[in-house]
Amino acid sequence: MNTLPLVLYAAAGIVYAIHFARRDSTTGRAATTLLLLGALVHTFVIGMQTMEVHHVPFANPSRAVSTFVWLLTLSYLYLELTTDERSMGVFILPVVIGLQVIPAIYPGTEYADPVLDSPWFWVHVSSLLFAYASFGLAGVLGLIYMLQFKEIKKKHLGYFYTRLPSLQILDVMNSRAVAVGWLFLTVGVIVGVVWTAEARAIAPNDPNLRAMSLDDPKIFIALLTWAVYSFAMFARRTLAWSGRRAARLSAIGFGFVMLNFLLINYFVTTSHSFY
Amino acid sequence: MHLFLLGVSHRTAPIDLRERLDFSSRDLSAAAEAIAARPSMSESVVLSTCNRSEIYVASSDPAIAREELVAFLSDYHHVAAQLFQPHLFALENSAAVAHLFRVAAGLDSLVVGEPQILGQVKDAYQVAAAKRCVGPVLSNVFRWSFGVGKRVRSETALGEGAVSVSFAAVALARKIFGRLQARRVLVVGAGDISSLTAQHLRAQGVGDIVITSRTLAHAEALAHDVGGLAVPWDGMMNALGSADIVITATGSQRPIITRAQLVAAQGHRRSTPLFIIDIAVPRDVDPSVGEIEQVFLYNVDDLQSIVEENLSRRAAEVEHAESIVNDEVTKFMAWQRSRSAVPTIVALRQRFEAIRVSELQRLENKLGVLPPDARARVDDVTRLIVEKLLIEPTEQLKGLPDEETQAAYTEAINRLFKLQQDEEPLDFSRGKRSDPSKRP
Repeated sequence: MNTLPLVLYAAAGIVYAIHFARRDSTTGRAATTLLLLGALVHTFVIGMQTMEVHHVPFANPSRAVSTFVWLLTLSYLYLELTTDERSMGVFILPVVIGLQVIPAIYPGTEYADPVLDSPWFWVHVSSLLFAYASFGLAGVLGLIYMLQFKEIKKKHLGYFYTRLPSLQILDVMNSRAVAVGWLFLTVGVIVGVVWTAEARAIAPNDPNLRAMSLDDPKIFIALLTWAVYSFAMFARRTLAWSGRRAARLSAIGFGFVMLNFLLINYFVTTSHSFY
Repeated sequence: MHLFLLGVSHRTAPIDLRERLDFSSRDLSAAAEAIAARPSMSESVVLSTCNRSEIYVASSDPAIAREELVAFLSDYHHVAAQLFQPHLFALENSAAVAHLFRVAAGLDSLVVGEPQILGQVKDAYQVAAAKRCVGPVLSNVFRWSFGVGKRVRSETALGEGAVSVSFAAVALARKIFGRLQARRVLVVGAGDISSLTAQHLRAQGVGDIVITSRTLAHAEALAHDVGGLAVPWDGMMNALGSADIVITATGSQRPIITRAQLVAAQGHRRSTPLFIIDIAVPRDVDPSVGEIEQVFLYNVDDLQSIVEENLSRRAAEVEHAESIVNDEVTKFMAWQRSRSAVPTIVALRQRFEAIRVSELQRLENKLGVLPPDARARVDDVTRLIVEKLLIEPTEQLKGLPDEETQAAYTEAINRLFKLQQDEEPLDFSRGKRSDPSKRP
């Protein structure tokens, strides 16, 4: 079921790349249309899975990845349609396509653990996935900023200079994406703590719940990620960091997010394996 | 009816002559009207920019049109004809179409690909259209040329990249700051390039422009020109602290802005980007200033090399743009041919219809006895037969490959069916140049 969105995302990715090279508006519109179509089909897939298990599918890691990709695509489309700036598509789409391969190959089945049947849990996961999508955008914007900054600073105005937006726009969008992501990350972590306390009272012997502590790599890295983004916010506002440093930090932050979301989620965590 | 063009451009005439033959924007409509009122010319558009004065007309006799236009230019500008005649170029029909398309695409400009020309072509057309000086010949070719200009801009990089030092600086400022609306500019030393750059920045809507110079009067003069504020020389460091864009162009033999001075002046603003354009030789800004994280320092050589790179990139696009123009000329001429077949097609249809009607009238006595339904059916059937007979000839006439074949077919049909056409077909067939040596 996740293959069709993947195919559409891949097609959109190719057209975004052609648009980036050629910069004609017809190809640009075709790219956006394909991505919108992909997002629409993806919405349908997630809607079907929600009807199947009676909740948004994200307890299984593959399905969580699929939901994350969906949110990232929607966030990007929002950014593109509000700024009318398509040059970022070619940088976002590889992340979207690369991640969507996972649910397309390993669809996974959603196992409805009764422990998860709490509104707190759903708020916890949706907030975090939305935060990750924002950080994904911020990370890619940071990368684009660094590319543009390098060309202008080194006085080598080449391929990217003409195609990418101004440093100021990239910086503002990056700052907003980090702020939105940080807010949702904070809410997600707090709600997670509340939910764990509540769930432990109901199922004191659940092995996942027993493993919920700072010793668990997933929780540790999550807090580290929160610390990185908190510092990014602090540095921008109080230390007057801006531009390249903030861009680099948001790219590093997204590295932590992906580490936690993919490697640790699949292979290491002991506390977050409800499947 | 022929399309005829007479003009001077930077390729054929020196600047002093172009100045004398220039039409100011206020004169354009009156000139177009005066030309179109002449008996040999039915339509006219006058295109006048600093690099060209061109008159496009629709005329039944280009040779007479040329004579009349030369006389008009001589009278209008009070210049003796023999002074400018050797510098004129004249083009007809397809050659004139190709020229207009090249002009609209920016291929004939002094700075190839410059963006203003398409707007100037549109303005010239609109001014003439407002005075009802354009008809089927000029309106079709001009409207088509707007599309050509747009196509060349979107499909090639011909108009990309700044090709003057001051525009390169403004383009860079836009890539750093995005919108320039609230940005503060400091100009240190009032020279030609700094003045030009400040003017371009003003046109982009920058916020304040502060100007300082060792001689306050110079600063005040430039401030007056660009709508800025002149401050005394000793206020420079203060102004530096709040500036986003700095242009330096003094005659100083030593750097006037060092790294330590800049860091001290910026204070808490060191995290905001600062774009410094150092146009002076020797340089006004110590090169180590460029090592500060948020400072983008460009000297005149840096900007010049950007300009040269952009120029060579544009030159590489010329071939592509020329092929688009050629393609559009071919398409336009084919379309024009299909349109010039229209009078023949109309006459042919009228002839067939006349025969049909007269035959029905001849048989009226016999047909009159039929009931109304059957009578109407006969009418329909005969009309359908005529339609079907004409479908293929119509398509064939519209799609003829060249003017000669078309002329031969038209002639044959006229003779075969004894056709008489009221309307004179538009004839864009012979694209001869009256003086090819005047165009490169």
